[in-house]
Amino acid sequence: MTEQKRIEIGDGAVIPDPEDKGLISAWWIALIGTISLLIILPLVKPDPYARILAFVPDGILVTFKVTIASISLALVIGLLTGLGRLSKNRFINLIASLYVEVVRGIPLLVQLFYIYFALGRIVRVPDIVAAVIAMAFCYGAYMGEVFRAGIKSIDFGQTEAAMSLGFNARQTMAYVVLPQAWRTILPPVGNEFIALLKDTSLVSILAVADILRRGREYASESFNYFETYTMIALIYLLITLILSRLISSMEYRLSHYERR
Amino acid sequence: MNAAEPIIQIKSINKYFGSFKALDNVSLDVEVGEKVVVLGPSGSGKSTLLRTINRLETISSGTIIVDGHDLYDPGEDINTIRMELGMVFQSFNLFKHKTVLENLTLAPIKLKKMDKSRAEELAYGLLDKVGIRDRADHYPVQLSGGQQQRVAIARALAMEPKIMLFDEPTSALDPEMIGEVLEVMVTLAKEGMTMVVVTHEMGFAREVADQVVFMDEGAIIEQASPDVFFDHPAHARTRLFLEQIL
Repeated sequence: MTEQKRIEIGDGAVIPDPEDKGLISAWWIALIGTISLLIILPLVKPDPYARILAFVPDGILVTFKVTIASISLALVIGLLTGLGRLSKNRFINLIASLYVEVVRGIPLLVQLFYIYFALGRIVRVPDIVAAVIAMAFCYGAYMGEVFRAGIKSIDFGQTEAAMSLGFNARQTMAYVVLPQAWRTILPPVGNEFIALLKDTSLVSILAVADILRRGREYASESFNYFETYTMIALIYLLITLILSRLISSMEYRLSHYERR
Repeated sequence: MNAAEPIIQIKSINKYFGSFKALDNVSLDVEVGEKVVVLGPSGSGKSTLLRTINRLETISSGTIIVDGHDLYDPGEDINTIRMELGMVFQSFNLFKHKTVLENLTLAPIKLKKMDKSRAEELAYGLLDKVGIRDRADHYPVQLSGGQQQRVAIARALAMEPKIMLFDEPTSALDPEMIGEVLEVMVTLAKEGMTMVVVTHEMGFAREVADQVVFMDEGAIIEQASPDVFFDHPAHARTRLFLEQIL
């Protein structure tokens, strides 16, 4: 097995590594604990726990929609930014680098407000669209760095071999470099996906009815703040636990050509 | 194109890495079907010279004409010219995410628009030739170095090039695997392939080369037939090199 290069970005959840026994046990304990609480609490005290559980799930779908739309757009922006940052064309390189610098220097919440209101001055778009654009704009910059690192991690000999056969730069990237880079990129992209899912809770401020927004609505009517936020925290935790495991197994399957 | 014209014409090329002169006024002609072996100590510029022939390395001045195409003519498409030039690298550089068979079929399918079954037929024929057909479905990481290099040769041949360039093809191999790779190269030479080979394998040079080129400090010091080169070298620098290596 060749030594693999990994990019560590620590703002998502911990992605379980099949080799890491300690993390796997922690993952199981957290999962069982979360599910147990989500079942036991509503059974023992239906009011308010069962009510909360009935009220909030509408928001889960919204959270997923925002997450998936944002990550898709962010991946496209990220790929272009990553390629731009590696471009020999100075102008393209400068634009991409400037974008990354600016976005990384501004808190996500400030960007959300800014894009939401700036966009509102030009066109009237639904809140959820403004939220997605803002999230993607921010995460595209981080994703750009992930793509850049992933592409750079591929041995230049692969590029030279492709070029020597007659592939042009674009074909070399598409057929040889990116399919291999994807392997290196997936763990941090998965991590960003989970981080993004958690950060979508910020869009609740923009009147988008995600999980947190639904919770706030319930709490402000019932005054059961503690119980509501307990359930919300558990729902987020359950989602990220499942996702981190899914990404880990996907990563394992993608590495098939590295196993003897 | 005039049949008598050399297929590779390198005319007074110079190459600088910063202020370091990597190639110093090098000129070399290679005829169709000719085998040229380039020797020299490490850092002598022999790999750099080889890599200028398919423009993996650019030159600072001079002219390189391959099969009638000027590599630096803006009207020429370098990718089309590269299809005529197979290259084998010291570190194999097989596509790690592709099986052996896919390594051979990728370029013919994508670049020559060959259909898959035709490309696979061609690939199996080449794998037979390099003696590795039974590994067609393996990934590069599952093969030994010698096997990988034989696949790399087959991958280059799959584009049916007119010229093959070898950049120290056996230098990264364990000693017991060098023979199997050289054997494939000798076969190829006997079939009449035009070859430019950078190597430290003196036995191969003696057996296969029509011309031996000796380089030092970026310049060609001596150029002769193997017999003359090994038995009666003209230059003191060549004699010193041969003493050290033989």
